[in-house]
Amino acid sequence: MPTDSAEIVVIGGGVSGLSSAYYLAKAGKDVIVVEKGMVGGEASGRNGGMISERTDEPALIPLAVESVRLWATLEDELGYPTEFIHQGRVQVGVSEEEMGDIFSERDEALRHGISVEPLDPSEVQDLVPGITARTLGGLFFANGGHANPQRAVQAFAWAFQDLGGRLYQNTAVTGINVEDDKVTSVETTAGSMAADVVVAAAGPQTALLAEMAGVHVPIAPARVEIIATAPLEPLFDIALVGNGLYGRQAARGNLLFGGGAHEWIDVDLTSEPGKPNTPLIRNIARRLAELLPAVANTPVIRSWAGIVEQAPDYLPIIDIADNPSNYIVVTASAHGFGIAPATGKVVSDLVLHGDSSIDISGLGLNRFSDLDPRWREERGWVPSFERS
Amino acid sequence: MESRPLVVVGAGISGTAAAIQAAEVGVSVSLIDENPIPNGMVGMNVPHFFGQSLPPGNESASIETFIPTTVALAEAEELGVDVRLGTCVWGTFRNRENSRLLDGPQVGLADTERSWMMNYERLIIATGARDLSIGFVGWDLAGVMGANGAHSLMNRSANLASRRMVLLGSGNLGLKTAKMALENGIEVVAVVDVSPTVQGDAALVEALRTEGVELFTSHTVKEAAGKNGCIESVVLVGIDDDGEPVAGTEKMVSADIVCLAIGLVPNVELLSLLDCELTFKSEIGGYVPRHDDRMRTSVDDVLVAGDAAGFHDGMIIDPDIARNQGRLAGIAASASLGAIGPTEAEDLMSEIRSEILSQAGAKPTEVHTGWKRWLGSFVKAGGQDVLACPCEGVTRAEIIGLQPPRYLEWGSEQMNRRSLQTQVEDNPANPNQIKRLTRAGTGICQGRRCREQAALLLAEEANTPISEIPLMTYRPPVRPLPLSIMWPDDESEQVRTEWPKWFSPNNKVLG
Ligand SMILES: Cc1cc2nc3c(=O)[nH]c(=O)nc-3n(C[C@H](O)[C@H](O)[C@H](O)COP(=O)(O)OP(=O)(O)OC[C@H]3O[C@@H](n4cnc5c(N)ncnc54)[C@H](O)[C@@H]3O)c2cc1C
Repeated sequence: MPTDSAEIVVIGGGVSGLSSAYYLAKAGKDVIVVEKGMVGGEASGRNGGMISERTDEPALIPLAVESVRLWATLEDELGYPTEFIHQGRVQVGVSEEEMGDIFSERDEALRHGISVEPLDPSEVQDLVPGITARTLGGLFFANGGHANPQRAVQAFAWAFQDLGGRLYQNTAVTGINVEDDKVTSVETTAGSMAADVVVAAAGPQTALLAEMAGVHVPIAPARVEIIATAPLEPLFDIALVGNGLYGRQAARGNLLFGGGAHEWIDVDLTSEPGKPNTPLIRNIARRLAELLPAVANTPVIRSWAGIVEQAPDYLPIIDIADNPSNYIVVTASAHGFGIAPATGKVVSDLVLHGDSSIDISGLGLNRFSDLDPRWREERGWVPSFERS
Repeated sequence: MESRPLVVVGAGISGTAAAIQAAEVGVSVSLIDENPIPNGMVGMNVPHFFGQSLPPGNESASIETFIPTTVALAEAEELGVDVRLGTCVWGTFRNRENSRLLDGPQVGLADTERSWMMNYERLIIATGARDLSIGFVGWDLAGVMGANGAHSLMNRSANLASRRMVLLGSGNLGLKTAKMALENGIEVVAVVDVSPTVQGDAALVEALRTEGVELFTSHTVKEAAGKNGCIESVVLVGIDDDGEPVAGTEKMVSADIVCLAIGLVPNVELLSLLDCELTFKSEIGGYVPRHDDRMRTSVDDVLVAGDAAGFHDGMIIDPDIARNQGRLAGIAASASLGAIGPTEAEDLMSEIRSEILSQAGAKPTEVHTGWKRWLGSFVKAGGQDVLACPCEGVTRAEIIGLQPPRYLEWGSEQMNRRSLQTQVEDNPANPNQIKRLTRAGTGICQGRRCREQAALLLAEEANTPISEIPLMTYRPPVRPLPLSIMWPDDESEQVRTEWPKWFSPNNKVLG
């Protein structure tokens, strides 16, 4: 006897799973979310909070554009704060190389009809007071901004519950039962849960779950780091990219910036992966001080790490599996926070109608049909051996 | 990168003893201590609870006057120990699951000019303990400080301008602090305890009584008040067995310092960063590292000693407990480095162990009932609209209501239905949720002043024993460090030039 059953079981209480669950519950569906830790305990509560139209990734643009639109009214929609600030995003060039990126992003944006504005150094200075005098120029993306990941994930979770959704935290999915090309139920540490449709939005573990359902999802997990300073008076309200970093000034005033090398790792199905910081946080601090010399004396008061997963082409995978045909895969390739509201809409569309009104044609599983099974090893996207 | 076979963090009694012991058998040791604490840190309430700002007249207290030259430290220097004062350890790093690219285990160090990394083969954490702080009405005024903060300020400046102290806590910590205050010419106008009897050593009590110090048992603080953000007076009130204030027993005393000496919490942050296993032992202060009889933690190469390994009030009377733990750790580390043979090490250690056994005084008892009693009395006398997290301005009521921070000016039906209690209904109580949602614990003192209070409130709301409440996570740097100081002068050319963009396809990736 299953412990519980629902029309839809969502695996993973990150922002992708919860957004999907929210829109499904809003459409009147009976939904369970199963999360092995606490909501937003992984990448969804640990990311940079940047939201943009993703001109750098054309296949993502439709989803990203819709997402920015949804973010704008999300607080009212959910009834809880997300700290979304819709003031746009500034990409700053402090080197010739970064200026090169800016020009190609501008071209890409224009090609997709996305509103961007080139900035000269003094215009950058106006938007980001205290920015380095080494600034060569910038690009302003009018649509986009940032939000507080922890608050936003919790907002989705609470709003989902307010609609009658059932949230099982500290409950891990340990098995997927398939009969006659359909998933019938999932096994969890709290018993089995029957479902008509299963949505797997389990971050890096999505691959391991899919394997149990007989679906191949090529993703590799990596650990990335980020630092936070003490609060400052309001300096800028845009999302900021430059000097190899990305970040924002939070509503409270702290500067939160990340960037730098990631480390490829492996995860297992049910335990919480270790997320130590490394001395890389000093390099991040330096780059931040270089970018904003005016506030170089601000103390760093914490840092943290998070785990993201990457598909070979650095793009999310959002698709219905061919077999079992009631199994939906959602993994974000480290773009997941900004696109989360639209991701949820898409998943809800896929469940309700079998296809999505937002163009996700570039995000399907079939794009990997020719992928060499040893792709991770070939690219070196595997954990390194301990050096000492 | 700098490197040392043995790094000892903390030049207190235990750390210095460990360093001496190792140096005596020829181990090359660095002994690192952040004292004298820079004024900048004092202002941030790091590492001690110094108060909202220094009471007037104390701001210029010169750090030069405090040079921790104990006899033991001099001995260590004589033996060739590399003693580094004014240097903090802000991080500990080692290779492990999901972090395998470090050049060996290392500590992050900083002074007021720069930061750097140092490799170690063995690490002894002897970082002591910090003050337990629980808020009463007015505890955010200048002049409220912890016992460690007060000790440090008295040491820095022989003439602490403050003159009249109310001391909370009648354990040995409180009594010793009172004595130290008297020696510094500060009048101790009251020693207050919520318990019906004085907690500490009888001889200390007698000594204070002789000096005319008044002890108020079964009392608490109703409020502290004053002008210009500084304490001028404190209202004490008698409490009954349930901690309820007894009407008509209020007594106002004039004072310019209130010193919290109600408990100490082992400084386990560097151990936590290394994933050393921590277990909850109320009788020695809460979360403490598991260690064996050689003071080795669950992580190879990392040892502990002194208050950081677990603190009880008896250790204040008998410094040999910490000293002997330090010696044990020093020998164990030296032996594992091959500086002394196993038999010789075992002989030395069993000698110390039998010394420890012969000194063993009264068995320490659990402390959290007492902590809860303080909190309960403050709540009953002064309510919940009292700051729990002074950095972020979060009150106890806001923690209990799981309220978003005030600056968001958020109000909604839905939010009002949520609270800490509804939160623990669908998830085991975890103080990290308080941190994420209310921001208590996210401030510049890095949660030093609110962790225990937040955990106590959570245990209460969740109706869960305090031992079940996990530790609010510690993150590096465990000292607030300016960007310009974290800045790595020694950044490698590779890190400079091969800095990747965010998982960008056309970029090479390190690691
Ligand atoms: C430091 C950092 C900075 C980032 N910056 C940004 C940014 O600025 N903008 C942006 O858009 N994105 C950013 N990202 C990426 C973004 O955070 C992720 O893409 C996004 O959070 C993914 O959400 P998710 O719900 O798909 O996955 P996750 O957040 O990983 O959630 C998956 C959940 O599934 C649970 N789970 C796993 N296995 C099981 C199981 N067997 N049973 C039950 N539950 C399970 C996990 O516990 C987890 O909670 C960043 C990420 C990091 C780490």
